[in-house]
Amino acid sequence: MGLSRREFIKRTAALSAASYVGMHLPFSLEGKARAADADRWVRGSCRLCGVGCRVDLGIKNGKAVALRGVPESRTNLGYVCMKGMLFYKILGHPERLTKPLYRSTKTDKFKEISWDQALDIAAKQFADSVRKHGSDSVAYYGSGQALTEETYLFQKIMRGGLQTNNVEGNPRLCMASAVGGYLTSFGADEPIGGYADIDQASCFFIIGSNMAEAHPVVFRRVMKRKLDNPNAVKIINVDPRISPTSRIADMHLQFKPGTDLAILNAMAYVILEEKLYDEEFISNYSTFRQSKKVEVDFDTYRKFISDYSPENAAETCGGNITADNIRQAARWFAKSNGTVSMWTMGINQRKRGVWANNLIHNLHILTGQLLKPGADSLSLTGQPNACGGVREGGGLCHILPGHRLVKKEKLRNQVELAWGIPKGRIPPKPGYHTMAMFSAINAGKIKAIWVHCTSPAQSLPNADLYRKGMKREDVFIVTTDIFPTKTTELANLVLPTAFHFEKTGVYGCTERRSQITPKAVDPPAGARPEVWIVREWALRLARELNDPVIKKCVEPFIGKEESFDLPKAIWDEYSQKLTKGRDNDLRGATYDVLMKMADGVQWPAPTEEFALTGGTVKKFVRGMDPMADSEARDDKPYQFYGPAHPDRKLWIWLRPQQGPAETPDAEYPFYLSTGRIIDHWHTTSMTGRIPELMRANPYAFVEINPKDAAKLGIKPGDMVEVKSRRGTNVLPAKIYEGPIQGMVFVYWHDMFEDRMINRVTKDAYDPGSKEPEFKICACRIRKVSGPKPLKPYIVS
Amino acid sequence: MKGKILLVVLLILSVFLSACTCPNCPAKGQPGVSVQARAADHPAVTEQEKLMPCFECHKEATPEIYSEWFESGHGKGMVKCYECHGTYEDMKAVPYMSVCAVCHSGQFHKTVDGKVCWECHPVHSFTVHN
Ligand code: SF4
Repeated sequence: MGLSRREFIKRTAALSAASYVGMHLPFSLEGKARAADADRWVRGSCRLCGVGCRVDLGIKNGKAVALRGVPESRTNLGYVCMKGMLFYKILGHPERLTKPLYRSTKTDKFKEISWDQALDIAAKQFADSVRKHGSDSVAYYGSGQALTEETYLFQKIMRGGLQTNNVEGNPRLCMASAVGGYLTSFGADEPIGGYADIDQASCFFIIGSNMAEAHPVVFRRVMKRKLDNPNAVKIINVDPRISPTSRIADMHLQFKPGTDLAILNAMAYVILEEKLYDEEFISNYSTFRQSKKVEVDFDTYRKFISDYSPENAAETCGGNITADNIRQAARWFAKSNGTVSMWTMGINQRKRGVWANNLIHNLHILTGQLLKPGADSLSLTGQPNACGGVREGGGLCHILPGHRLVKKEKLRNQVELAWGIPKGRIPPKPGYHTMAMFSAINAGKIKAIWVHCTSPAQSLPNADLYRKGMKREDVFIVTTDIFPTKTTELANLVLPTAFHFEKTGVYGCTERRSQITPKAVDPPAGARPEVWIVREWALRLARELNDPVIKKCVEPFIGKEESFDLPKAIWDEYSQKLTKGRDNDLRGATYDVLMKMADGVQWPAPTEEFALTGGTVKKFVRGMDPMADSEARDDKPYQFYGPAHPDRKLWIWLRPQQGPAETPDAEYPFYLSTGRIIDHWHTTSMTGRIPELMRANPYAFVEINPKDAAKLGIKPGDMVEVKSRRGTNVLPAKIYEGPIQGMVFVYWHDMFEDRMINRVTKDAYDPGSKEPEFKICACRIRKVSGPKPLKPYIVS
Repeated sequence: MKGKILLVVLLILSVFLSACTCPNCPAKGQPGVSVQARAADHPAVTEQEKLMPCFECHKEATPEIYSEWFESGHGKGMVKCYECHGTYEDMKAVPYMSVCAVCHSGQFHKTVDGKVCWECHPVHSFTVHN
């Protein structure tokens, strides 16, 4: 009889450990190339999250075979996470889409067609819609994973060509509140500092972020800082759920979902009460605001904040929050040599996400924990190019390239001039924001939509409601993607695209850093780069609508070779003409410079010479930021030249506590929250096809606090129904002291209908940023059966 | 058939019970297995079991290794077993050193000739030099 498995594993491991010495094979003999056995290495960025890790892709015989981090890169210092390490397997994956697929009605089966036919159909559908129903009957819905060149070109055709601002993208679902926060607090979008501050910080305030899973390589940097300085560095983690991020925290503040604004105001209370604020910094650089137009004085702010004593907040927030730990957190924050705050969706995906962002910034302004080394209010971006492509490139309905607002005529005219199109061509009215866009589809107002590199059928909140609209036969849906998804299932036309490293383009990550990824291998035969697709589509649109201005939009790009010259020409136009003189000045970040840099360039970078130094590490600081010098109005060391604050000040906001749109009640007594897991990216259309990653987390489960589980008789692995007013899931239970009592938590990556949690989430959104409140809604749970065998699921 | 379903259910349950004992699973490996143990040498696992994180079994089967890893930078930073050891198709009990290079290639020029990383950095904890 063989050994039991347990004994076997024990023994094998012991033997292995004893015999490690001498087991090293020289790189050249390792056969299966993992890190060394490649013909050549091509440098680019990771395809997946917003950290922006630089990687070398190993190529052998024209195929991607390996990947390694780039040690000299300032973004990741050589490290990658498991998703990054394995994403090269998507290049050349056997399930890649390689043929345009078409069906005239959504109940038909797809049939393969040629590219010529596909582009003709796409042009005809959009043109017909514009002719019959007007410009605003067509829309583009893009992605924070599209290259900047792609987003820029799509929006140029939509606005300058088809004359609609119906240009949106999935960053609305994750970053819009951070944009609103930066603009209203600092007068300019995107962080002042960046990752370099982590290495000098002595306090980290991590709120609404499980960065250990969602931003693993930045988390590693924070972790290293803490482990190297266990006593000198303090970490405060603020979250209703204890997550892997909490493991390195000195203090975990666990509170009732939706009471975060009270905690932040209470910290400000302590800062005022104990005189921990920086009076000089406040008087030199800030004002207090009740609204955009109403400025108030320090005393009014003091009076406002007096409602938020730590004792009051502890009562509002519940959980383990006490007046003492709020006081301690405020002291650590204010007194440290440098404090870095970091947050993601827990703050942004809130009914009052912009306010929550403002209140974090308030703490930094009050204490002067800004602009100096080791101090920053650093919003972590989710996607690799939400900042670069969408926020900077004009990928949302209200913004044009170069951080310009659609509603400002002067700024529209600048863009029209740069494009060489008639003045007044870009409509003055912003288009539909994401939730309004999909509501307009439901209402039959949008007749043709192009969904690029994202899967709203799975990623929108209250997904069933919006899938109903997408199923309508009177809306023609074009998708560009590399794999089938829940959204390609609802499309009329599916266009297969080149993947990362199969085309060239720029990504801009969290810290204002633009990095190029050049083409390294050919896409699978039949898949094409999006910039080629859009150019060819636009030329057909121009013919269909007999409109020379549409042709004018792509004229500079006609005849360019699609893998490098075409994206380069688009980048040149965008960076040289559209960012000139703007706060994201990228004129120095030419393809030549980007190809030379190990880790790209941080804007502003107005000249190549400056860009070659790496660009601006700290915005607004004279001597570090060339625009702080060129835009200076006085001798002060900090110059806030951002476009949104004509007074050139930082604004401290009076923002009251406000709860979520839906709170638990007798019928739906639990809070439901959702989030990401380390092994998967978004909707698993990519990571679900990599066996290591899929096996590591094959399906979503519902995390339930042990006390709640005991009350409801739910045991580990039991199948549990999670039901809201909108929809239902049935998932296996994980009993885990993670979520606070009264709250359940579900990862949102699973594509299987019964485990697709966005069928349950709520589509309420922030009135300022229009970002939905994915993080909080009310639900009820009940056990439906014992454990059941489950299978991972991917749309094929 | 009923028994089979029960077994599958038990296996899934084990994921959530955080330790897998599964005495019913036949062990393929033999005592004294080579340090170059590969997938074929790992005790047989069903497709369902392959959907469990390695540490769910190893927590109990090799608790010392599990806690060394859990407390290490790799454990805290969520560098999981499969990142170094691969998955069932390409599993290596002792990973090639090149796998370290995916993240640590910058440190490779500091290695002493003829030595592997874990001669100086204790395996699984990797915290200090031996
Ligand atoms: S942390 Fe993000 S960018 Fe870095 S390797 Fe992982 S997925 Fe890629």
